[in-house]
Amino acid sequence: MLSGEFIAFIGLALVAIMGGVLLLNLTKVVHMVVALVFTFVSIAGIYVLLSAEFLAAVQILIYSGAITIIMLFGIMLTKHNDESEAKGIGWRKILLFLGVLAFGAAVYIGIYDLDFTSETSSLHVKNTEQIGLALYSDYIIPFELTSVVLLVTLVGAIILARKDDNGKEGDKE
Amino acid sequence: MENAWLIPLFPLLSFLVLLIAGRRLREASAYAGILLTLASLAMSVYMLAERFTKPTFKSESVWLTIGDLKLTAGFEVNQLNALMLVIVSLVSFLVHIYSRGYMHGDERFPVFYAYLGLFTFAMLGLVLSPNLLQTYIFWELVGLGSFLLIGFYFYKESAKHAAQKAFIMTRIGDVGLLIGMILLFWQTGSFEYDEIFASVKEGAVSETMITLTAILIFIGAVGKSGQFPLHTWLPDAMEGPTPVSALIHAATMVAAGVYLVAATFPLFAASETALMTVSVIGAFTAIFAASIGIVQKDIKRVLAYSTVSQLGYMMLALGSAGYVAGVFHLMTHAFFKALLFLAAGSVIHAVHTQDIEKMGGLWKKLRFTAPLFLIGTLAISGVPLFSGFFSKDEILVAAWVHGNKALFWLAVTAAFFTAFYMFRLFFMVFAGEARTHMKNVHESPGSMIFPMAVLGVLAIASGYINTPWFGTFLGDWLVEGNSALGHGHVEGPAWIMIVATLVSLSGILLAYLIYVKRSISRDWLISRAPLTYNVLRNKYYIDEFYGMTFVYGAKAVSLFLRFIETFLVEGLVKTVTVFVQTLGKTGSKIQSGQVQTYGAIAFVGLAVLMVIFALTGGYL
Amino acid sequence: MSNVPVSAFLALALILFCIGLYGALSKRNTVIVLISIELMLNAVNINLVTFSKYGPAPSINGQIFALFAIAIAAAEAAIGLAILIALYNNRKTVNIDEMDQLKH
Repeated sequence: MLSGEFIAFIGLALVAIMGGVLLLNLTKVVHMVVALVFTFVSIAGIYVLLSAEFLAAVQILIYSGAITIIMLFGIMLTKHNDESEAKGIGWRKILLFLGVLAFGAAVYIGIYDLDFTSETSSLHVKNTEQIGLALYSDYIIPFELTSVVLLVTLVGAIILARKDDNGKEGDKE
Repeated sequence: MENAWLIPLFPLLSFLVLLIAGRRLREASAYAGILLTLASLAMSVYMLAERFTKPTFKSESVWLTIGDLKLTAGFEVNQLNALMLVIVSLVSFLVHIYSRGYMHGDERFPVFYAYLGLFTFAMLGLVLSPNLLQTYIFWELVGLGSFLLIGFYFYKESAKHAAQKAFIMTRIGDVGLLIGMILLFWQTGSFEYDEIFASVKEGAVSETMITLTAILIFIGAVGKSGQFPLHTWLPDAMEGPTPVSALIHAATMVAAGVYLVAATFPLFAASETALMTVSVIGAFTAIFAASIGIVQKDIKRVLAYSTVSQLGYMMLALGSAGYVAGVFHLMTHAFFKALLFLAAGSVIHAVHTQDIEKMGGLWKKLRFTAPLFLIGTLAISGVPLFSGFFSKDEILVAAWVHGNKALFWLAVTAAFFTAFYMFRLFFMVFAGEARTHMKNVHESPGSMIFPMAVLGVLAIASGYINTPWFGTFLGDWLVEGNSALGHGHVEGPAWIMIVATLVSLSGILLAYLIYVKRSISRDWLISRAPLTYNVLRNKYYIDEFYGMTFVYGAKAVSLFLRFIETFLVEGLVKTVTVFVQTLGKTGSKIQSGQVQTYGAIAFVGLAVLMVIFALTGGYL
Repeated sequence: MSNVPVSAFLALALILFCIGLYGALSKRNTVIVLISIELMLNAVNINLVTFSKYGPAPSINGQIFALFAIAIAAAEAAIGLAILIALYNNRKTVNIDEMDQLKH
């Protein structure tokens, strides 16, 4: 009964969740980020299962690569006292945990027996080509806009950093 | 008479001008005050002259409209008002002149004149009021003016206390007046004198209610006119400058009580009980204050007690249905008592003391003041041919004719006392030799002598407008066209006049024997009746009695209330504040500025909503 | 064809989302908070891709959407980090509970 797909899913899901749990429970910030890399990679696997090969590649490139590296930079550029994280369990955390549990349960009630009788899709056939066609036809305007957003992000990030340098110099004087 | 409303405005203008420019005018402010008061006086005299030929003038306009109810404001010139206008503005004018000499060199000279203006305005407004509400407003304004002037030397502890005492004691009376006023309004639906009298005449108001309201209004008059038992403030009010005593506490304000009773006389006339109350209180006050006056040693206090006593006379007259007699005595008393006070002020000005034990032999030194003081003394003692004689005679006749013989004899005794203590005062101040060494005794300046001279003439002459010998012109005129006020002149047995004369002469004789001839030793009298002497000396211990009862009572009550305040009210308030504060503190703690916390709280709220949503089955 | 139910993918997404949410709201370190937010975005992406394949109307659109989401998430991460560093230079801290300027 157990198909290969199912086994793959279970395995990937477990790794993903494990990564998330480790993220919450590790004490060192760098370890947390590394734990998260596992999650990102297994999510890429999930994408493959869902016949989105291109997205899986993007996921690994962007998340496991770029974003993780950015985060590591962020961590390295700032000072951390990791011990301060383990500061007992306050009423807030308990309340928050209960809230998250309740939220999860409430949403789960909505999704646990969700099933769509859908026709078979042909997403796995030439997946990248399909995405490319869609992007350059139907979604050309959002696609171009995204490039603008990325440009603005780039400029914005540089300005933020530059301002700091000026401020720093001002401080030193 | 259409312009009568201008009369009170002149002193108000004087008050405002001096308030604004007083500092710059310095002593020239006296001229502003004098000129403006003179304008009032001229108009008042004109009004009076006009009133002789024309009927009562009344002008009103709507002041407030509350639902169907219209409150009016306006003025009225009837016989009584016109007469009072002249008395008030005349005395005020003379006092204005007098003060220029008396207050000379005082640092707050312009302020004094400003206060005089305010008071005169209030008094004239009171006199012109055609309804109770307006009367009450000016009534309180008069009280304020009196308070300010008594406390003029506010840096003196005693003056401060006297001013407070005057204010509080008269307030007690004012409450009575206010309640009476409201009751009358409730019963008749109007504050107008005319409408009230009309409905009383028609019998629209029950007998009991008339009596009650009349007595309540009388309580207001008791407070203002210093009748027993609210008389104690009047002698203390002598702490004010002497011209003020002459203006307020002899001629005008204290007469306001009598005026009020006279103005609402038809109401009193409708109730025998009310009249009885008025006459009994009046007669008792007359003899009571006179007996205290015998032993006082302060020149102004003697005059103050004589004022109380004379006001008692007026009340007795009004209570004995002697409307004319009361108003007549009010007028003559205003003149001769103002004269006496001004003369006393002149004496004080000369010798710088108020203790009559230290004076003596001033007759030769005060060439003008002394004869004028003598005129006043003769007038108040009821010596024939002086004004006091005629008016007092009218009162005695009214008391006799009205039927209560006991009150009549009380009044006669009081007349004896009056003659005695007034001449005791006169002899001790002016006769014999100086008991202490007096330096720089000099006659007062002309600005002080002139008003006294005018009043001296009036103290003699004003009696002749209403005498049984030459016609009762004033009386006939006063009651003209208003039967509720009684008769213009009441015929009494001729012997009353003789008795009155004998009584006053014997009082003078007794005073002469004791204080000039010394054929009866003062010490002997005191040693024979030390108890009586001490009781009188201490004014029947009334002040002490009030101190023991009302003041301590009030203190006890206020302690109790303070206890309630601290523990109950404040406790409640504290609880509320602590609650609100805790709430606020919690609120500000939540406002920590930490976005994460905000997010957490918002999310928990969302979770709760979702759980509720899921439990109630609203999902899909 | 498939024996992995839709709800399994959705449940996985839900669990990851909840983990991200909890991390975002409870961690003191701002970097970790940002990472948690990335995790939440990923959970959403899983949802999008799942519906793209097993939804009522399967089409490529879901994947396109996820693609855009990834692009914006990358931009967000870059800006977030830049702001964080600017903040760090001013306040010398990355602890989120010490950033309370909103209070003033």
